[in-house]
Amino acid sequence: MRAPSATDIAAGEVILAVDNVSLSFGGVKALTDVSFDIKKGEVRAIIGPNGAGKTSMLNCINGFYHPTEGRITFKGETRPKMRPHEAAAGGIARTFQNVALFKGMSTLDNIMAGRTLKMNRSFFWHILRYGPAMDEEIAHRRFVEEIIDFLEIQHIRKTPVGKLPYGLQKRVELGRALAMEPEVLLLDEPMAGMNLEEKEDMCRFILDVSNQYGTTIALIEHDMGVVMDLSDRVVVLEYGRKIADGTPDEVKRDQRVIDAYLGVGH
Amino acid sequence: MAHHADARAVTGAHDTFPKLLELNAVRFAARPAMRHKDLGIWRTWTWAEVAREVRDFALGLGELGLKRGDKVAIVGRNRPKLYWSMAAIQSWGGVPVPVYSDSVADEMAYVLEHAEASMAMVEDQEQVDKLLSVSERLPHLAHVIYDEPRGLRDYDHSRMHSFEEVQEIGRRAAGDPAKVAALDAAIATGKGSDLAIMLYTSGTTGRPKGVMLSNDNVIVSARNGGLFDGLTETEETIAYLPLAWVGDNIFSYAQSYVLGFCVNCPESAETVVEDRREIGTSYAFAPPRVYENLLTQTMVRMEDAGPLKKKMFDYFLGVAKEWGEKILNKESVPLGARLQYAVGEVLVYGPLKNRFGLTNIRVGYTAGEAIGPEIFKFFRSLGINLKQLYGQTEASVYITAQPDGEIYADTVGKPNIDVELKIDDSGEVLYRSPGVFLGYYKDPEKTAETKTADGWVRSGDAGFFDPKTGHLKIIDRAKDVGKLRSGALFAPKYIENKLKFYPNIKEVVAFGQDRDFVTCFLNIDLTAVGSWAERNNVSYGSYQELAGNRDVLKTLTAHVDAVNRSLAEEPLMGGAQIRRFLALHKELDADDGELTRTQKVRRGFIAERYLPLVEALYDGSKRGRIRTEVTFEDGRKGVIEGDVEIIEMTIHPVAGTPFREAAE
Amino acid sequence: MTDVTLTTRKPFLGEGQRNGLIAGGALALFIAALVVATQTGTITRNDWTYKIFVDPFVSMVDMPDLLVQTVWEGFVAGVLYSLIALGFVLIFKASGVFNFAQGIMVVFAALSLVGFYEFLTLTVGMPPGFIAAIVALAGAVGIMFVLAVAVERIVLRPLVNQPDIIMLMATVGLTYFLIGFGEYIFGGSPKVMITSQLGLPTGSTMLDFAGGRINIQHLDVAAAIIAAVMIAVLGFFFQYTRIGRALRAVADSHKAALSVGISLNQIWVIVWFTAGIVALFTGIMWGARSDVSFALEIIALKALPVLIVGGFTSIPGAIVGGLIIGIGEKIGEFYWGPLLGGGIESWLAYIIALMFLMFRPQGLFGDKIIERI
Repeated sequence: MRAPSATDIAAGEVILAVDNVSLSFGGVKALTDVSFDIKKGEVRAIIGPNGAGKTSMLNCINGFYHPTEGRITFKGETRPKMRPHEAAAGGIARTFQNVALFKGMSTLDNIMAGRTLKMNRSFFWHILRYGPAMDEEIAHRRFVEEIIDFLEIQHIRKTPVGKLPYGLQKRVELGRALAMEPEVLLLDEPMAGMNLEEKEDMCRFILDVSNQYGTTIALIEHDMGVVMDLSDRVVVLEYGRKIADGTPDEVKRDQRVIDAYLGVGH
Repeated sequence: MAHHADARAVTGAHDTFPKLLELNAVRFAARPAMRHKDLGIWRTWTWAEVAREVRDFALGLGELGLKRGDKVAIVGRNRPKLYWSMAAIQSWGGVPVPVYSDSVADEMAYVLEHAEASMAMVEDQEQVDKLLSVSERLPHLAHVIYDEPRGLRDYDHSRMHSFEEVQEIGRRAAGDPAKVAALDAAIATGKGSDLAIMLYTSGTTGRPKGVMLSNDNVIVSARNGGLFDGLTETEETIAYLPLAWVGDNIFSYAQSYVLGFCVNCPESAETVVEDRREIGTSYAFAPPRVYENLLTQTMVRMEDAGPLKKKMFDYFLGVAKEWGEKILNKESVPLGARLQYAVGEVLVYGPLKNRFGLTNIRVGYTAGEAIGPEIFKFFRSLGINLKQLYGQTEASVYITAQPDGEIYADTVGKPNIDVELKIDDSGEVLYRSPGVFLGYYKDPEKTAETKTADGWVRSGDAGFFDPKTGHLKIIDRAKDVGKLRSGALFAPKYIENKLKFYPNIKEVVAFGQDRDFVTCFLNIDLTAVGSWAERNNVSYGSYQELAGNRDVLKTLTAHVDAVNRSLAEEPLMGGAQIRRFLALHKELDADDGELTRTQKVRRGFIAERYLPLVEALYDGSKRGRIRTEVTFEDGRKGVIEGDVEIIEMTIHPVAGTPFREAAE
Repeated sequence: MTDVTLTTRKPFLGEGQRNGLIAGGALALFIAALVVATQTGTITRNDWTYKIFVDPFVSMVDMPDLLVQTVWEGFVAGVLYSLIALGFVLIFKASGVFNFAQGIMVVFAALSLVGFYEFLTLTVGMPPGFIAAIVALAGAVGIMFVLAVAVERIVLRPLVNQPDIIMLMATVGLTYFLIGFGEYIFGGSPKVMITSQLGLPTGSTMLDFAGGRINIQHLDVAAAIIAAVMIAVLGFFFQYTRIGRALRAVADSHKAALSVGISLNQIWVIVWFTAGIVALFTGIMWGARSDVSFALEIIALKALPVLIVGGFTSIPGAIVGGLIIGIGEKIGEFYWGPLLGGGIESWLAYIIALMFLMFRPQGLFGDKIIERI
């Protein structure tokens, strides 16, 4: 795989900042005054008990929701009404807690769909499937094949994803997000519902993505072991508020975190 | 025909793999030597290209300091670069030591430590991690070379290189005529009697032993195996079995070099069937479970098929069952049957073979353990030339194989070319052949135990020559074969396997060691017998009730009688016919400790647990009674009470007398 | 691939198909019995059983030329029904909106074409003929594009994530808006389609067949060919192009499509525009057979039974459903219509659809081949 397109933000600098974000649905507050940042190249975990607002936070970052208050700055730009496909175009890819794939389409087509934004040739050429569009299609196919190889899913290349077991669906979804060559990858519980072996595989893939391509990753995860192993920094949410932020070790020692989360038998 | 591989021509001057590679790079320059499916596309290398890849890598290895006699571990799945590295190592007179890629770090450490490997060629990060985790036990290991760079970027590269880097070093060295001359000299110095490869066999007990095979061992065996079945450079095979297994080394490496055929590396372990179909292999080798899986998948799919298609499938399988083998064996078959078979070929057999990737198959071996006759006959009836082969690491694979036209489900065939066989008084099979190994590495004691001074090797297997066919039959591991009080041979696994090939019988436990006669417990197969009951409107409330059903017992009796009859035909085994048996009232279960997790019966444990029943089998009672504790799926425990009927069998007269000396 | 026996896992005969076979067999037996009964004099030619169950079939066999003529006409009508249903399916799959206005879009598209042509020839002063017709066609395509953009901006975007019924009501509103707007612009009087100006053939050919003659309108042949080409192009477009992949993606999961950067709004415009083009061609064909007026909307409602027969989410279903309704209707009208005093064509389609609802509620192709859009 090629490295994702470089931006002028250097590794270690803030690529995405969340400032005083609040989100409410008709009086119900999902997020209250949350601030944190994500630095380029790091693995950032967002943890917290159920209903803490973790998924709402991701939904704000990639434009599914718009914060009622506060702002989100991505690559130095603040777009209060950014929509999901604009977020995608800006370099934010994501996966979903309950897998959102194109179930009727093959693994290959699903991951190819992740290349949508990278296809530049005009509508017209694509209808004709001729000349430059064809070359482009081949180049994209090669890229997608590298992802298939990377994720070790060659054997399901032509299988409709609806027929795949859950663990593999999650892997295909990760593949589709990678196909977008994102600068920031949002993973919503990438290991939920997996067995131990699948979890280990997924951990390895996430680490490899981070190491090889320097992709910035923000992930929500419940498995504390995984979080501690994978992430560089952790932000902890509870009832829509941030209660801690720091390295895994710092967070682990934080009394509020222990009370709110780690203590509650997780 | 000028370039046709004449296997016999490969002698004298071309007595090592590097020399064979040089020969192939000329005589088969443009022919494909290897393919690998990568990123969804098959990449092909001709012999000339392989020779270049190997040479670059070999020069690189020379720069890293590889010397004659150095051992190099090879760890990974079937990938071209791993195969190429073997020839490159052998170019310097080094010795490749393939290691099972799924072995844990500790097992791997043992082999590398024992072999004193100075380098390791590994597939990927996973294997590198394993080696690093035990690096303090491997003081000899100077360099690690890897094929797949993923995830290894941030590792310490002072003693670690990618395959391409080593090739690059080699290409730089190629500019120095002295270095090139050194490599050429090393290749020229190599001779047939040199150690070519070391393969570690686990055996059933103790630490793995390093089997040393010379160039002559491997090359002559591979050549003879090719002659036996008329193989040529046009074969296509798929490499998917572990590199550390002697079979893979012969079939995917040595024979390809000797005959010049193309070896195809699959995309991943999960895509083998699909890849095999794309290639259309002409020559295949697999343990029985591979064939079993193909058959099971087919049957499961047909269960889901529509009624018309299923009828068609069943009908033509019936035709194949009756005539397929005869046609394959070139016997005379009525025209009508031939026509029906031809229609079946278009509608059923052809598509099935295509699905299995066996459309172009000329020879397929099954080896490793006994294959069920049903499975064996199924594939043969489709027109797939499946044969049995009996081999061992210590023999460079080939001991016996079945010649065309002499195929039986229950023999392992006749001695391969240049192989001598004999059976000693204890029933153990001994062989002598050009493939017989040099010895176990650093273990002269074990070598002396196994290999006699005049070159005979004790196989550790008990067997005999079938008087009807003259073929060898393998009974069991020699140490597992016991005796009845009368002195007659008692091979429990042999008897159990014969019974288990009946679909109605799921498990068998045979008793007889130091007894007067043989008895056994049977477990009915609930699926098979249950569906029989359904078809015949037999109602039953429980497993116990079904196992005790009169008609079921009658069927089981018929099966046992058939087995007795077949035992009676074998002079050596005829003394161990089943005198009495019973059908157990409960299924043997791993949860109750009666089976191992790999579903093998734990004979001793069962004999203790069901002691009252074993006693009943031997004290002449008509019935046996027992209470046994069982564990239910949810972990609760309960007691099952059994009252089972004991059935008395008639013993058939044994044919002829055993003869021990046979075909040399 | 020769691999036929094992890859197709669908049963050779589904339950519905088996039921159909049994029903068909029973009916054939019943009719055979009646024929025998007539021959033996048990039933006379004036009995109603004879008139319903025997006479039509006897006529079909006796005069095959009439049967072929009827089936052909039914086929042509069916092709046009298929096209209308196709527009429905496209929009339903991509946006989940049941587009009540699809039928009226057919009329509106045809009126735009004719109106634009009149404007060009009468007001602008272009000489009537092929050139003007083509310019008018381009203009009508443009109008359909503007309509698609407008619908997306004004109707879909503000109503996104509203319940289905709201969306349906919105398209009902769109229907009446188009009627009113169309009448305001183009006037209420029926117009004549510019068939020959567009270069479409108008004559007819008589074919000798089985002792009789069959009348084939050239226009009908052209309609069938154009429809076939259009369907093939659409199929190719959906299966093999980037936009097609995006359309299938949107049809499968909105959330996932958004996350990979597919703009729903853009897809909606494309889909509505495509549906508009299909409507325009349908309008041309239909208008050429009668007048162009809002009275045509009655045929638009025929799409509903077609969708019930073929399934709401399947393009092959729309096509097959259209043909079944078209042919069934014409045969019913011709052979059984006189028994009821004629005119059953207007409601027979709904009866056929009802029968399908009883046996196969999901339609012939149901949701099963969803990946084909």
